[in-house]
Amino acid sequence: MDILEKSLNLIDDIINDKEVKNLDFYENMLTMMSSLFNNSFIGIYFLENTDYILKAAIKNNILSKKDCKIPTEFIEKLLANDKKALKLQTKNNDYLFKNNILVKLAIRNSVFGFCILSKDSIVKDEETAFEALVNLLSYKIKDFELNEVFKIQVKAMQEAIIEKEGAYEVIKKQHKKLQELDKTKNLFIANISHELRTPLNAIIGFSQALDSKIFGELNEKQAEYIKDIQISSLHLLGMINEILDISKLEANAMKFNPTELNSTLIIQEVINILEPLYKNKNIEIVFNNNFNFNIKADYQKFQQILYNLLSNAIKFTPKDGKIEIIQSENKKDYTLKIKDNGIGIDKKYHNKIFKKFVHINNESSHGQHSTGLGLTITKELVKLHNGKIILESELNKGTTFTMEFKNIII
Amino acid sequence: MKKILIVEDNELNMKLFFDILEYQKYTPIKAINGLEAYKVIKEEELDLIILDVQLPKLNGFELLEKLKKENINLPPIIIVSACAMDSDKQKAKEFKIEDYITKPIDINNFIKTVKQRLGEI
Repeated sequence: MDILEKSLNLIDDIINDKEVKNLDFYENMLTMMSSLFNNSFIGIYFLENTDYILKAAIKNNILSKKDCKIPTEFIEKLLANDKKALKLQTKNNDYLFKNNILVKLAIRNSVFGFCILSKDSIVKDEETAFEALVNLLSYKIKDFELNEVFKIQVKAMQEAIIEKEGAYEVIKKQHKKLQELDKTKNLFIANISHELRTPLNAIIGFSQALDSKIFGELNEKQAEYIKDIQISSLHLLGMINEILDISKLEANAMKFNPTELNSTLIIQEVINILEPLYKNKNIEIVFNNNFNFNIKADYQKFQQILYNLLSNAIKFTPKDGKIEIIQSENKKDYTLKIKDNGIGIDKKYHNKIFKKFVHINNESSHGQHSTGLGLTITKELVKLHNGKIILESELNKGTTFTMEFKNIII
Repeated sequence: MKKILIVEDNELNMKLFFDILEYQKYTPIKAINGLEAYKVIKEEELDLIILDVQLPKLNGFELLEKLKKENINLPPIIIVSACAMDSDKQKAKEFKIEDYITKPIDINNFIKTVKQRLGEI
């Protein structure tokens, strides 16, 4: 097998990557090429590792494969740092091999290094084979480098993905933890509500038993104090109920059972319940109960909305004031307004009023106890009915709450 | 005199129910947990049961489940619970109990419900 055939086989091997692999790539290349050219020295050099003069010489084609007589100073410089090449030097500083062929490592016109073949005598076939091998090697080296770069980039990307996935997992875990905490909180509130009701049952029950005089008459002070105990107990109960309500709403555990209702009847019911309160302040309630609207609503919750807003209106309307309740419809949409001419709400509080635990301190509300949850609950209950609540109010002129319910008229 | 079993673990609430019912000329019987209630129900001819849900040893619903399995005939039952969650009211309905009063009770309302269940009004 002549040198050309052998080099073609080697080229095949290189193309198929049979033996030229991984980190020992250059080492392998050199060994394989050396085995082809008997009694020779082969070196691979990269421009980035060679010095300036050499670089310039190669780039400017001072050195070419045709020029077998490479100036000695170049060879010296070239081999100065190559341990294998140093072995080529004889004692009297002559080079072992007489002939040198230099072929550039290049892709198109971009030179990035060169290969040198040193041999005593170089035949034409060897020159051709060496040139072909180096040309192929140029592509293999670039391919190898690109592959390495590609591998590094893929690795970096994989690491980035893993990192992101890690972050995602952390967020997912935190989210789950928060959900569990929220559940715990709601369970805690349900339990607290239960625990508070038990003693409250005894407090309210015994004071009611005394108040109803089933066990005998009370003197004036005793009767008065028993009433005070009951009022405070009911107040406490109201707060417990509100906290339980907000916890149910936040846990989406509020049952919503809409049925067909006559809104006018419910409004009238709530007005009747609140009669002692507004009569006591001589407040006039204006409500036209001649119009009937059949709506789809949850009876207990719709009543709670009305109770909250109307009792608030009574609370914040001074003696001899006026509260109007206005119903209207537009196709299937139903609007309800509760308008008072009370103390009003300062504009700066308008966007806070529906938030949890908000108290607006002013003279008239002083001494009125509340959790600051009533309007938050009301807003959520209106939402459950596919509605929204709008506040219009001016200090000392009055407050109007407008509720717009979409598509609830039957 | 009609016999009414009160199943209640809180001492003061028990006293309240007991005193009210006794004053209404009924004969109240005390049971402070589900197991005690179970024994009384098997031994006594009762006219009505006032049942709490959260109880030691055997809770209200577990007691009802046990009685149902053993096919024991029961008088009317009024559940009086401190639990205001809808799920418990739903559970009561599964045992065909319509009277579910949430603590704190209103005495007059409580007496009215008792009388209704006893068929007196």
